[in-house]
Amino acid sequence: MKTQSYILRFSVLIITFIGMPLFLYFSGNFQKRTTLMETISIVTILGFSLLLSQFFTSRLNYKLMKKIRMVNVVAIHRFIGYLFISILIFHPFFIIIPKFFDNGVTPSDAFLRLITTFSSTGIILGLIAYASMLILMITAFFRFKLHLHYKTWRNLHGYLTLFFVIAATWHVVDMGRHSNMSFSIYYILMVAIGMFYLIRTNLFKTAKK
Amino acid sequence: MPIKSINGCIGCEECIKSCPTDVIRLNPDSKKAEILYPEDCQICHLCRMYCPVDAIVITPDKSIPVIVSWG
Amino acid sequence: MKTETNNLSRRKFIALAGGGVGFAAIAGLGMNIDWALNNPEIDADTILKNTINTDVLVVGGGMAGLFAAVKAHDAGAKVMLVSKGRLGASGQTPFAKGIFAYDKEKEKLSIDEFVAKVSRSALGTNNQTYTRQLAEHSLARVNELKEWGFFESSLYNKSFSKPIEERNIPMHERVTITHLIKEDDRVVGAAGFSIDEQKVLFYQAKSVILCTGAGGFKPNGFPICDLTHDGTVMAYNIGAKVTGKEWNDGHPARGENPAACYDGWGDMFEQKPSTTSIEVRHDLGVDMNYMAYMSGGVAQMGRPGMGKQENSVSGGPYRPEEFSSEKGQGGPSKDGEKDGKRPPRKDGEDRPPRKEGEDGPPGKEGKGGPPGMGGGVVGGSSAGMSIHKAEGLVPINDTCESTIPGLYAAGDALGSYMAGGIYTQIGSSLSGSAVQGAIAGETAAKYSKNIKAHSISASKLNAIEEDILAPLKKEAGYSPAWVTQTLQSIMIPNFIIYIKKENLMKAALAYVEELRDHHVPHLRASNLHELRLAHETKNMVISAEMKLRASLMRKESRCSHYRLDYPELDNENWQAWINIFKAEDGTMQLEKQPFNTWATVETNSKVEFNS
Ligand SMILES: Cc1cc2nc3c(=O)[nH]c(=O)nc-3n(C[C@H](O)[C@H](O)[C@H](O)COP(=O)(O)OP(=O)(O)OC[C@H]3O[C@@H](n4cnc5c(N)ncnc54)[C@H](O)[C@@H]3O)c2cc1C
Ligand code: SF4
Ligand code: SF4
Repeated sequence: MKTQSYILRFSVLIITFIGMPLFLYFSGNFQKRTTLMETISIVTILGFSLLLSQFFTSRLNYKLMKKIRMVNVVAIHRFIGYLFISILIFHPFFIIIPKFFDNGVTPSDAFLRLITTFSSTGIILGLIAYASMLILMITAFFRFKLHLHYKTWRNLHGYLTLFFVIAATWHVVDMGRHSNMSFSIYYILMVAIGMFYLIRTNLFKTAKK
Repeated sequence: MPIKSINGCIGCEECIKSCPTDVIRLNPDSKKAEILYPEDCQICHLCRMYCPVDAIVITPDKSIPVIVSWG
Repeated sequence: MKTETNNLSRRKFIALAGGGVGFAAIAGLGMNIDWALNNPEIDADTILKNTINTDVLVVGGGMAGLFAAVKAHDAGAKVMLVSKGRLGASGQTPFAKGIFAYDKEKEKLSIDEFVAKVSRSALGTNNQTYTRQLAEHSLARVNELKEWGFFESSLYNKSFSKPIEERNIPMHERVTITHLIKEDDRVVGAAGFSIDEQKVLFYQAKSVILCTGAGGFKPNGFPICDLTHDGTVMAYNIGAKVTGKEWNDGHPARGENPAACYDGWGDMFEQKPSTTSIEVRHDLGVDMNYMAYMSGGVAQMGRPGMGKQENSVSGGPYRPEEFSSEKGQGGPSKDGEKDGKRPPRKDGEDRPPRKEGEDGPPGKEGKGGPPGMGGGVVGGSSAGMSIHKAEGLVPINDTCESTIPGLYAAGDALGSYMAGGIYTQIGSSLSGSAVQGAIAGETAAKYSKNIKAHSISASKLNAIEEDILAPLKKEAGYSPAWVTQTLQSIMIPNFIIYIKKENLMKAALAYVEELRDHHVPHLRASNLHELRLAHETKNMVISAEMKLRASLMRKESRCSHYRLDYPELDNENWQAWINIFKAEDGTMQLEKQPFNTWATVETNSKVEFNS
């Protein structure tokens, strides 16, 4: 019974953060481009939804937490963390990969154009999100070298995440290739729920241990 | 329509400048490329090839408007 | 945004005077005239005016415009480049991938032999001076292009921008030039408008080089919908002589999705350019149109094992024996390349019917149309376009000078007859534009040194501004799209401009005159995009008239001009080009100019068209 329920919870997580985006991707009326481009798109979409899943594979999701041992939660959280970060860190480069396979705009020109189009809110948000993701990654990686109080660490990590997620989601909703209405609602919903958990945990439950 | 969709646009205006027949314009509010005059598209793919992020999809069909006696 | 109610529009119409009387009358009858209403998105009265001064004004940002600007600058002139579209991404230049370079180290033929061979294929229609000039200068231009990185990308804007930016040559892109300005019998500038900013632009220049390319009737299947012979018509309007309108480019398109230019050319637009060597052909005339006409609309090509199509229909356009398609004319045909306008490809996969023209089944190496398309083709994909370099302004010498002092033209905008009335040397269109652009640039710079700047009179500026903005100010009128479509249905049928006959051309001419006199003056535009369309439409109608009149006048068949009622070559009467000009009284006049003579500013044996 106990194992079953946490398998169930995991299935819910997988369905919500892998099944759902894939469903939205295939059911959305998107113009298909080359296989390479579409594969890159799917990987990126999953990278982002995994990021959103992070809210729910942490201490915030105490229901899940109660069912499995804390070390496992941390391990899962860390694994997914590194997974999505390693996808999203390449995201700006993924976009220009097709340029290696044609004779037109060179990959470097395309990349330069991409990261210097400052007239676009989406690009600015993307740059901010990217930078905060790097900070998030570095601080997580060196967490123990920082010699922070657990609570300070948790707040830092939490608020940084909040900032990152808002910038990233806004960026995705604003310029995502596949950000149609259903995708946007899905993203915003997930972020809203996640934020609710995060804020509740950090603000109201800090006293509780 | 020949030029079909623009998704994932970063608003760099490359396609707008490169379209010989002025089909695409920048939407002043969203700051993104917008297909404004698709009936003038000559299906040459220059816009797509100049786009740094492959945001443009073009199909080979063209719905030619019917002929009427005045218009 | 036709939100206006009928009442409102009726009131508006009844208030109309002059040109609107007809419409007002209709409205008065209670007829709904919403279709004709102009709903301007911009106020024509708030449009700004700008005047720019320069020595040499280069109009057009293709291959010819690039070299004209660079060479005029290097010859010491202050240069300004204006283009309707983007540098290297407008006109025909972006789609051309094979460029001819005559390298005397590598070629077996001498330049004399080359010129002679082109003349044989062109049946004398080529101007030998310009053919020779092409061979002499092509390698130097190609080497410059190489330096700028031209051969490294399928897209040309970057390599074209390099020399322009290095020299700091000012450039206006997305500006459509509509008028050339002539005062004291010489060119003193040009005028046009921007499609991005609400601005009318006047360019005061000591000389103007038209590198505006060729044009067509915005046909389906050939990427020339931004070209409407603007340069030719502007020059004609100020009295220049123009030529070459009776010839035809016979490009076919795929039967399926004929409008898809990109798809019709396989992946050629994605290829990097490369050079071609001597290969003189007799291509892209109207053989295929003839075949389709005689066999009831069926034209097939590109299928291996289809048999020789041209043998199934006898007669038709004359092709000199030496250049018959069976004979791998003039040099090895690379990779079975029939059009040669494409660089050789590494693989031998499907090739769509693209430049094969009348060559019949190109698949001598077993290559045909792509699977599923069955080789079915339709004609008229480039309708309204003549042969590159055969149509355009008439030069009076070998330096691209027109019949009007200070006005030059180069490339597809110059009727230099470099290749003749049929496609001869492969890849020469692109290098010809480069070669002529450079020469025109140098000549115009030299000319400008001895000319004082001229201030265009205010009355002239005002009149031109009125003319430019007129469609925006129309309360009602015809949409450019509809007039264009009507013109297309008059001109594009195979039995009008391809397989020509006197009675049908006269009939078509009557229609075209109707458009000219009663529809063009009522063209409306509600925004700058439509304003450009309106001016383009106007030019297309004039071009159509030129095409019909010249075709009616040439009572013989030669190269890409085919008359069903005069199917033979007539060397006795027709070793001559046809020049077209506007007479004092505003009518269109035509004259003969013997092959290999230079045009004079005066009119030759004037032949009036009897209609
Ligand atoms: C699909 C295709 C394939 C081809 N392949 C080959 C090939 O392989 N080899 C070859 O040699 N040739 C080829 N050609 C022909 C070749 O492209 C042209 O002959 C050549 O590029 C003409 O160059 P140009 O500079 O004279 O004119 P264009 O390149 O046509 O340039 C005209 C310029 O003038 C501008 N312009 C026009 N009107 C106005 C106006 N009113 N105001 C301001 N600017 C204006 C346009 O924006 C454009 O920049 C091909 C053509 C096509 C369409
Ligand atoms: S395909 Fe060509 S004509 Fe159509 S929108 Fe793109 S650039 Fe413009
Ligand atoms: S080129 Fe691409 S990214 Fe740039 S404006 Fe056009 S569609 Fe958007």
